[in-house]
Amino acid sequence: MIPIASAAWKEAVRKKTFIVMSIVTVLYLVLWAILLYYFQNLGPGSKNESFRALAEVMVSQMGLQFSSMLMCLLTIILGAGTIASELESGMVHAILSRPLGRTEYVLGKTLGLAALTALYTTALYTALLLISGAFALSTITTLTFVQILEGWILYLLVPLCVLCLTIFGSVSLKVVPNGLLMIFIYLLGNLGGMVEMIGNYLNSRSVVSSGIFISLISPFHTLYTAAERALLPSSGLAGEMMRGMGGLTGGGRPASTVMYVYIALYSIGFLALAIRKFGRIDIN
Amino acid sequence: MIIETENLVKAYQNKVAVNSINLSVEKGQIYGFLGPNGAGKSTTIKMLTGLVFPSSGKGQVLDRPLGDVQARAKLGYLPEHFRYQEWMTGEDLLNFHTSLYRLKRDPERNRNVLRRVGLLEQGNYKVGGYSKGMQQRIGLACALLPGPDLLFLDEPTSALDPIGRKDVRDIILDLQKEGTTIFLNSHLLSEVEAVCDHIAIINKGVIVKSGSMKDLLMGKVTLSIRCSPITEDIYHRIKERFDSTAAPQLEDGSIFMTLKTREEIPEIAALLTAGGIKLYELTPQHETLESVFLKVVGEEETS
Repeated sequence: MIPIASAAWKEAVRKKTFIVMSIVTVLYLVLWAILLYYFQNLGPGSKNESFRALAEVMVSQMGLQFSSMLMCLLTIILGAGTIASELESGMVHAILSRPLGRTEYVLGKTLGLAALTALYTTALYTALLLISGAFALSTITTLTFVQILEGWILYLLVPLCVLCLTIFGSVSLKVVPNGLLMIFIYLLGNLGGMVEMIGNYLNSRSVVSSGIFISLISPFHTLYTAAERALLPSSGLAGEMMRGMGGLTGGGRPASTVMYVYIALYSIGFLALAIRKFGRIDIN
Repeated sequence: MIIETENLVKAYQNKVAVNSINLSVEKGQIYGFLGPNGAGKSTTIKMLTGLVFPSSGKGQVLDRPLGDVQARAKLGYLPEHFRYQEWMTGEDLLNFHTSLYRLKRDPERNRNVLRRVGLLEQGNYKVGGYSKGMQQRIGLACALLPGPDLLFLDEPTSALDPIGRKDVRDIILDLQKEGTTIFLNSHLLSEVEAVCDHIAIINKGVIVKSGSMKDLLMGKVTLSIRCSPITEDIYHRIKERFDSTAAPQLEDGSIFMTLKTREEIPEIAALLTAGGIKLYELTPQHETLESVFLKVVGEEETS
């Protein structure tokens, strides 16, 4: 399993898409720093002062949300072809004719990409906090160590959950259809939260149920929202206004324990399905 | 037996790719597996290497059931459609496959296999920069890493030039001397004829002929004779005693017939000379693998 994980890591790092995404990430962090620089220079007593509390939450959420999106897109880009491309090219023939179980192969691929994703996520998360701290963004500077740790773990779980689904797609579909489907499912999660929020405002149970159903298909946004809550718990009305969507529970309420259990089962389940499916396919 | 299968079948939805394959490959054999395109050769190899699951039937490879992971520790396989990690160097690729074989890294072993396939000087080059022939060679090097007891070669010379083909033939013969059993799938019949001691011909998923190379090629002898005009009586005696299908003598004095054994050749010569016939030419022609193959596959196509 380790040789496969190591090869999956090295291969992913060498991919042009990873290099492009790394450049995009650096550009994003530079833009983020520039934004915070101008934000910091909004002097006290200016006409924007009353808007500052809301703006700080908005800026923080914007930063977190965009970086989460980057992480998930990178995970999809790297994961979509990790097995599918080797099946398509025939590279897998020479690998699976060695004394290596198919389960080991799938787990090795998953482990390699999970490690890379985790490193990327941690680096991005750390950079985000450091830049925010350097520009004295109060939503970030007031965070405790426990909050940072909790936020990091939840933040990390979002792309890992996406990875499990993407790996299943990679043993079931070809590279491009899998990538497109995964992006669609990921974006669907955002829509689910929005539908649920609208349902709450309209007091419509059926619309809320539709939102919940969408969140069950794509629970990634629910996890992201939990990470955001861990990092921005005291943002009050501003936070609720911006947050809008709250995953399974919607309406700005935190996700229930049942939802977390569901997400865990969802991730493990798709990985188990990927192993099961890959263990039964003919490698032609 | 190194390979033993019993009624191996692979069916895909409406199509039967391989039907009732029975193979027995002994230790140390070079076993040639032949057939036209789409006959089921690669499917059979993939079932034997555990890549494809049989629909029914059973088999053993290296005394373990088909698909057994442990058996693959001493099994080498060079796939037909070889493709390797282009970003790795030849050495990296060997190290990667060394770890897949669960062996300790050994630079000496790497050098040995690289030398064997003629890539010793190119071990540090990226695989992506290799020619197709070099990629096939590095694939063979990977397959040789564990010192395999059984080596599957699926079209191992498809990307090689004539010198490369000869190199591979020499490697195959050397490996046989070292006790390796080789299962060779190739379209190049002359290549198979040069190295294999046993063959099986598969067509439309069914083995239509198998046996030792000696038996297949030496079983019948085609005899070409050129002599003075033969009498009706001699012609009838030839048909009665040697070949009932022999055609009448041609205008240029040629007669062609198929004999059961070489021992009949002097008898024919004696019959002709005793009858006062002047014998100008008597040439026995052995069957080639190509003629056997074309005959067997052709008969199948006709039927």
